[in-house]
Amino acid sequence: MAGIRKFIVFITLLLFFFIPLAFAENIEIRILHVNDFHGFAESYKPIGSEKLLGGVSYLAEEIKRLRSEKPTIFLSAGDMIQGNNWANLTEGKSVIELMNTMEFDAMVVGNHEFDFGQEVLIKRVKEAKFPILGANVEGLDVLKPYVIKELSGIKIAIIGIVTEDTPTSTHPSNVTGLNFHPIESTVGRYLQELKEKADIIIVLSHIGFYADRLLAEKIKGIDVIVGGHSHTKIEKPVLIGETIIVQAWEHGKALGVLDLNVEKGKITKFDGHLEEISPDKGREDITVKAIVNKYSKMVNSILDEKIGNALCDLDGENVRKKETNLGNLIADIIRETAGSDITIINGGGIRTGIKKGEIRVKDVYSVLPFNNYIVAIRMSGAKIKEALEHGVSAVEENAGRFPQVSGIRFSFDSKAKAGNRVKEIFIGDKPLEPYKDYTVATNDFLVVGGDGYTAFGETIKSSKDYAVIGGVIKAEKILYSDASRYLRDIVVDYIKKKGSIEPKVEGRIREVSKK
Amino acid sequence: MRVYVNNRLVELLPGMTVKHALINSGLLEEVQRGKKIYDEWDNEIGLDGELREGVRIFIKEAKEIKLEKCRRRKNE
Repeated sequence: MAGIRKFIVFITLLLFFFIPLAFAENIEIRILHVNDFHGFAESYKPIGSEKLLGGVSYLAEEIKRLRSEKPTIFLSAGDMIQGNNWANLTEGKSVIELMNTMEFDAMVVGNHEFDFGQEVLIKRVKEAKFPILGANVEGLDVLKPYVIKELSGIKIAIIGIVTEDTPTSTHPSNVTGLNFHPIESTVGRYLQELKEKADIIIVLSHIGFYADRLLAEKIKGIDVIVGGHSHTKIEKPVLIGETIIVQAWEHGKALGVLDLNVEKGKITKFDGHLEEISPDKGREDITVKAIVNKYSKMVNSILDEKIGNALCDLDGENVRKKETNLGNLIADIIRETAGSDITIINGGGIRTGIKKGEIRVKDVYSVLPFNNYIVAIRMSGAKIKEALEHGVSAVEENAGRFPQVSGIRFSFDSKAKAGNRVKEIFIGDKPLEPYKDYTVATNDFLVVGGDGYTAFGETIKSSKDYAVIGGVIKAEKILYSDASRYLRDIVVDYIKKKGSIEPKVEGRIREVSKK
Repeated sequence: MRVYVNNRLVELLPGMTVKHALINSGLLEEVQRGKKIYDEWDNEIGLDGELREGVRIFIKEAKEIKLEKCRRRKNE
């Protein structure tokens, strides 16, 4: 009995002397962070660069090295599971397996994590061996508002927040029943709750650097903001008031390193930088490399999957000079998806054709290689004519602007002066009325002026300001905008559903020039 | 959503990215040729970076290229 008593006294004295010591001494901890990975598992050459960057197996090896140097937490600021085919074709499962292997400590949900729908997101969250946060998301119980981690006796609270604009960047059905609460009041509320429970408070943010700065200016008490969403390459940490802000670019091309000295539960010194990730610089983690290879093989087998049959050749060669059956098929699918009166797209967005016979996923991906999505707006008949005039204005040069259409028939004279080539236009069976509004589906590229189209952008400019009501964009001129699904995936699903397709040239676009 | 590219106003739909702003301003090709995209605090940003109302972005020569040119000028 006396022995037990002595032991209790000994432990009490130990705690009495050493716990305060932990707060008195200078403790070094490290935060490693990535953001906006978007499934870029393999190294690639970014646009405008000849250098290979990224590669998650190189990233993982670097993380192991940096982790071995001092007590570390490893965080993700969101947008991990969607983007590249490597992630998309497994609906993000591949990325979660990677993150489990790399032992992430926490992640905040990004807006693109919602792109596969709530059911898939819940599955991914349950597969994750680390907490996925979303303090300002109401209605999705699998997301935790915060987590508290302990490193060398220092309690670190991590609050996760995602942009309030999430409903505008995904299909409304992906966020049905969810509320995205204002950032400042959410963070303020949790700061109150956590200030007694934690020594350091980190906001793991997917709201963008601009918004991170505003948050740091307005809300006092945040020690560190680890950010994402704006894909910003913050080479040295930024200090706003007493809040340190960091962000590590995108696609695993950089790893964020933030070293903190903590004394009496407060940060006394910080230093940070980005480690460039590149095959030139380091070794690979072989476990992570094996996961990348496993899913790359799986992705290739999905791309090779047969989805249907073409009962005729699908013409992708002549899309820049005349109506083709493949142009009609794609334009019809867009019109059906958006529920619009008509479709106008650029032939140049269709890059190749498909031969009669079996159709595979990769065939559709070759036809539509760009990450375009469907947008539908309300346009006047006059603006539709303007768009068609632009579309046929350089047909003699085989310009990509040549239109492929659905729900509309028109004739043009390629010998007439550009801007005055379009003759008759019919919407359904009725002549186009210049002052009447029609609903027009197209793609995001043309809406922002791609291939020189201005009619769509000018129409949007004349629209009253947008509002997001109940998770849906409400605007006078915008009817449909779903950035969460690429056009090529919608076409794949359509062909899968139909089984066999045999689109025809129907006289939608007639050349009436005198030979 | 109104943003500015090299101080020129660009109007985009909510959810659109840096890439859309560059297509609209005809500057995507300059990035393809090697120029970089920076925010108003001179941080480089990615093409898929999300934008918000009032953001200003700039298309410029890469920082390292500028430094290299300065070095060359000094040595001349």
